Amino acid sequence: MMESQFHIIITLAVIFGFYMAWGIGANDVANAMGTSVGSGALTLRRAVILAAILEFSGAFLVGSHVSETVRQGIVDPLIFTGDGMSFMLGMLAALLAAGVWLQWASWKGWPVSTTHSIVGAIVGFGVAYGGLSAIHWDKLGTIVASWVISPLLSGTISYFIFRFILRFVFYRERPLQSAKRLAPYLVFFVFSVLTLALVFKGLKNLNLDLGTPAAFAVASGVGLVASLVAVWIVSRMPEQERDRRPGGNQAITNPATVQALEKAVKHLEKVQSTAPEHMQSKISDALDNVKRLRFESQKSYEFHTNTAEYKSVEKLFVYLQILSASMVAFAHGANDVANAIGPMSAIISVAVAGGESIAAKTPVPLWVLALGGLGIAIGLATWGWRVIETVGRNITQLTPTRGFSAEIGAATTIVLASKLGLPISTTHTLVGAVLGVGLARGISAVNLITVRDVVVSWVVTIPAGASLAIIFFYGLKLVMW
Amino acid sequence: MRSIAKVFGRSPFVPLQMHMEKVAECVKQIPDVVAAYRREESETVEALRKKISRLEHEADALKHDIRNSLPRGLFLPVERVSLLQILSLQDSIANRAENIGVLLTMKQARSFPGFDDRFDDFLGKTIETFELARSVIDQLDELLETGFGGLEAETVKELTDMVAYKEHEVDVIQGVLLRELLAHEDEVSYGDFFLWTRILRQVSSIADRSERLAIAVRMTLETS
Repeated sequence: MMESQFHIIITLAVIFGFYMAWGIGANDVANAMGTSVGSGALTLRRAVILAAILEFSGAFLVGSHVSETVRQGIVDPLIFTGDGMSFMLGMLAALLAAGVWLQWASWKGWPVSTTHSIVGAIVGFGVAYGGLSAIHWDKLGTIVASWVISPLLSGTISYFIFRFILRFVFYRERPLQSAKRLAPYLVFFVFSVLTLALVFKGLKNLNLDLGTPAAFAVASGVGLVASLVAVWIVSRMPEQERDRRPGGNQAITNPATVQALEKAVKHLEKVQSTAPEHMQSKISDALDNVKRLRFESQKSYEFHTNTAEYKSVEKLFVYLQILSASMVAFAHGANDVANAIGPMSAIISVAVAGGESIAAKTPVPLWVLALGGLGIAIGLATWGWRVIETVGRNITQLTPTRGFSAEIGAATTIVLASKLGLPISTTHTLVGAVLGVGLARGISAVNLITVRDVVVSWVVTIPAGASLAIIFFYGLKLVMW
Repeated sequence: MRSIAKVFGRSPFVPLQMHMEKVAECVKQIPDVVAAYRREESETVEALRKKISRLEHEADALKHDIRNSLPRGLFLPVERVSLLQILSLQDSIANRAENIGVLLTMKQARSFPGFDDRFDDFLGKTIETFELARSVIDQLDELLETGFGGLEAETVKELTDMVAYKEHEVDVIQGVLLRELLAHEDEVSYGDFFLWTRILRQVSSIADRSERLAIAVRMTLETS
């Protein structure tokens, strides 16, 4: 094997990997940020900037854990001993297959996941090279199971978070006040989970590994500081808006009063029909007065809806949703960057080692992680913002409270999966989370057909990715050999 | 990949409220057409009848549109059946308004002293009942926002009670009107008698449907 061949392979790996990262940034980030843009929590510009920063940090700081699974968990690296070339070509084929399959599926409008495509492709070339026994089927089983479990888990979390918000905010007599009281706790939760994800193992990349107790201490410390800031911000927000209704019309009638007046009218009518002649004129005056009162109270009663107050609750949740969307973007970067850089770093590590041996465990080089993060950011800047805009425009039903619930459910699940090294689909997890909010009666119309699409994509993507990878593998072999 | 947007179906609630607006327009014409009828302006009555029919037709078109856009795969915070029931009740109110218009073009029926005033009271209460039911439909926005529970659900329960009470009042007046009609049976021609009873039934039916409408919405509430 010649040096120049390695150079070509490394160059191709970098190009394909970067292309995958670009595709993730261009298409998938919309899922994290589109909800916030749709609910008006963020302007498009801010969403793009925030997403770029968080996706990059997620990829760079927490990204490697999943990469290892994609690289080594599915295919047994030992079967390639002495034949690094095939391994490199296979990984190249896998990247190419995943890229092509994604392009095709996007064009067809199928909800196919980047993660599933790359896993399918790696399985494909593994089988092509080493037969069925080359695959760690138990590991693959775990991964596939995680695809089913992740939307279920995110849906469950989101369901309960939304029910929680209903119970402790919307069912309360003064929803805005309750929301203000609740906000610092929610902020604490978001920041603690995020910090935990970051600190637990993520900072390994920066050689800042902390033990479990220290990690928890740091996480709750950060959460506490953030929630104190939240307390301060919330205290500066304007009080109940309904007290400032124009025209000084503060007399919003209690429903009980309206009913009592109803009854009074009824009784006075009874009095009128039985009273003696000399009382008649006075009684009918009284009746007229009460009737007018009833009419006015009914009017103000009808006029009074809690709309203004619910609107201010949503306004408060705008801030919380920015947090939760950031959490999704961060978790997304951490989980999905592996799809691009996993195979890429595998190829590079083999090529650097001279193409002969396949190291069982080589760390993902930091510059590769950075490259992946950069690819996502560039994809976002060149194409993704447009998708965010489109997605945002289509999901206006997701108000900040709903968006927050869905995103927290999704982000928590993704962070958990990243920790476990499971490459799950961010999109499907978010779909599950939105369904969870829908089941909690939070969304006016949820399209259950997407569930079918998601299930179909589970079934179809692995064989499709695998077949394409096999074709490309033999194609590349023909060309390069 | 961008499937998150596909999770969201078209919400039927805004079209439902739009449909109710159309129905309200139909109902609003009834006092006008009755007034014109009393003035014996048969051309105005006919023009208003046509207007109600046109509005009713527009409401129908909306109704079909809503029904067609409710695929089985749509998950709603309200039972599909309840939603369709609410829609068909709203629709039936528009039909009653149209029927009243048509009945008034049939024949210039004579009335007798005291009847008109009581009839106005009857019609007024019926329209109040309807307006209350309409305010229940207007509450759907808030109900959606609050997941069909809490204070908003209480508000709707109160409103439903008020609708039920008003409907009862309408029933009572209808009884009185009918009794008066019977008391004057010698002065009223057979045709007039027939026409009046038909009209009374159509008007009170609006109140009745309004009550059922409010109850249908109430059935969707969270009971906690």
